[in-house]
Amino acid sequence: MKNSNIAGWKDVFSFTFIQTMKSKTFIISYVILILIVAVSMPVISLINSGGKEDANAPSPIQKVYVNNQTTLGDIDFSEVLKENAFRHISFEIMQEDYDTVSNRIEESEQTSVLLTIAQTDGMYSLDLVKASKGPVKDNSIALLGDAVATQFEKYKINTLGITQEQAAILYAPVDTKVSMLDVSGAPIVKEDTSISGSEYGFIYGLLFVVMMVNIMASTQIATSIVTEKSTRVIEYLLTSVKPLALIIGKVIAMLTAVLLQIVSLVAVAFISNKVSAAISGGNGKDVITTYLPANIFHSLNIVNIIFCILLILLGMIFYATLAGLAGATVSRLEELQEGLQLFMFANVGGAYIGIAAANILMASGNNAFVTFAFLFPLSSPFILPGAILVGKVSIPLVAASLALLLIFIVLLFKFVAKIFETLILHNGNKIKIKELIKLSKTV
Amino acid sequence: MSLSVKNLSKSYGDKVVVDNLSFEINEPGVYALLGTNGAGKTTTLRIILGMLAKNEGEVLWNGKPLDPVRTNVGYLAEERGLYPKYSLLDQLLYFAKLRNVSKSTAMQRIKYWSDRLEVNEYIFPPKLKGKKSSKANRADQLSKGNQQKIQLMAALISDPELIILDEPISGLDPVNTDLFKSIIKEEIAKNKFLIMSSHQMPTIEEFCSDITIMNRGKAVLQGNLNEVKKSYGRVNLFVKSDVDIASYISSFGLAIVNKTPSEYHLKVQGEAQAMNFLAKLIGDNIPIVKFELREPSLHEIFIEKVGDIHEE
Repeated sequence: MKNSNIAGWKDVFSFTFIQTMKSKTFIISYVILILIVAVSMPVISLINSGGKEDANAPSPIQKVYVNNQTTLGDIDFSEVLKENAFRHISFEIMQEDYDTVSNRIEESEQTSVLLTIAQTDGMYSLDLVKASKGPVKDNSIALLGDAVATQFEKYKINTLGITQEQAAILYAPVDTKVSMLDVSGAPIVKEDTSISGSEYGFIYGLLFVVMMVNIMASTQIATSIVTEKSTRVIEYLLTSVKPLALIIGKVIAMLTAVLLQIVSLVAVAFISNKVSAAISGGNGKDVITTYLPANIFHSLNIVNIIFCILLILLGMIFYATLAGLAGATVSRLEELQEGLQLFMFANVGGAYIGIAAANILMASGNNAFVTFAFLFPLSSPFILPGAILVGKVSIPLVAASLALLLIFIVLLFKFVAKIFETLILHNGNKIKIKELIKLSKTV
Repeated sequence: MSLSVKNLSKSYGDKVVVDNLSFEINEPGVYALLGTNGAGKTTTLRIILGMLAKNEGEVLWNGKPLDPVRTNVGYLAEERGLYPKYSLLDQLLYFAKLRNVSKSTAMQRIKYWSDRLEVNEYIFPPKLKGKKSSKANRADQLSKGNQQKIQLMAALISDPELIILDEPISGLDPVNTDLFKSIIKEEIAKNKFLIMSSHQMPTIEEFCSDITIMNRGKAVLQGNLNEVKKSYGRVNLFVKSDVDIASYISSFGLAIVNKTPSEYHLKVQGEAQAMNFLAKLIGDNIPIVKFELREPSLHEIFIEKVGDIHEE
């Protein structure tokens, strides 16, 4: 690549970047996205909690009528009263019949609930009945139900004469490990390459973000090129800069604008998450910690982060160049959708390969298809960054993938540089792939 | 300074659009490229400007291959183009920056040209108190003529040594045509090198010293306009009389090129035949209002050279 071929790209970059940031479309879409992201964290938090009340806030329930139909005798619920939320509640053995109490709760005693403990088919059931209307909501019942059930479980164990230590052993989860040995007696180690649900969620989320960024940036690049073609500005620009400098300046400007947008959106998401967690008064974990537990990043280090950023950037450059080429094949803005077909096919196809690989990773771990998805330049920018961050890819595989992507980009750039000069002045029907290849052989 | 175009050829597949074209410009002034639509003029200009790759030949500026990115070239394209939604000032500054003109110089020149071309109000729209500036600072708010003026500003903003104007005055009203012509004259006076492509022959005759007429990619006529005309001789005779002189014309065997109700445009063999015809009319006391013998116009030469070819 000669220097004169890319001279002026910085001027193209600065103008395109500033005009993009100043454009009404960009500002409006940006503000909308910021608002959505800012609101999303409290909304997700609210949905997750299902409108749960503060566990420490006093419960609206004042009295619990206990209707014990079991042979367990009088159950002691005094432990429940030690919790702040239930300190004021009185537990009372039901003296009247069920219908009388339940009718009273429904009509006049709406802050009371009826607890029925029954034993059928070797199982205990605890039913809480509340008034259909009144201050006692489902969440209040759920919170009390949890506390009562825990206390009932303890009471049951105590009744059987089992100590706390014995109970701990009884309820401990069973973790059975089967080791295989070869003929020499050495252990055969089979690495578990499958991913957890949280890791899958993270990989999938990152893949989706990368795909969206690619589509947003690339569509803007293609639109910008078609606009310059259809308005004939391109003719003036080409007297001052070479086509290659033009496309480089545009690609970098659009990618910078979209990256800035994404980075600020992520920052807003983090701030919103923290604010949302603070407002909810520490009632449970924040949204990000809920969905992205820290243990999935146990392999995170600076090398992995660099590889991840490199892959995302190279992927963006690759798809942006493809979109630039697509933009140059058409002459009018209304033809752009048609022109972008190949780009969309490659982008969405690559993302789908990535999603399939993520599904396989979760179901059965690494296999030939997953390795292919990691290496294939169309899919690697989507699936590999997430997989690297959760530590499911070896360094040599990442290096091979990066090398393949680089080779792909260089080849694409050579192809684009060869035909862009002719394409960019082309006016007429959309140029098909066959014609592009023919053109690359003739120029 | 000199511009030399040598054996330039360009083809798309089997279609030759510029065929072994050569010409030289050694003196400041306007060089004209003429031809029908599709003759290859714009392609030639685009090759000179480095926008299109040539198959063969070379374009030399002062004896060295012309690199438009490094040479100070101004270009007014046939199909005008501006960003429709961006501010005019922003895009003019951008075009200046691409031509390595500093921002302060660019601002000075933009102010000069906006005054000269009477587009000040669009480039520097007056700000109303408490309101945003007018939308008319965007290209899509301007008339075609005003857009053309902005485009000319963009072409001249770097004070170029070589100016290429592709159909500079097409679509302009008479007032703006005169304005553009006066600016072209100013550039000629500054000893600039200009290449102009136009279909408007009177404009070419007004400015150009040397011409190339192209047809289907080839140069069919080249040279100094005066010499070209001289080579044709003074064979065009325009006669206007109060009486019908048709019988005299037929008796002299003169070809009628055109006839209006009051005037004949005739083709003569030479000055002697024209003088004999005049003597006969005077001898017979025919009242003559006009008797003009002159060289063919550029329009006539153009038609003669390429007129029989259908537009591509």
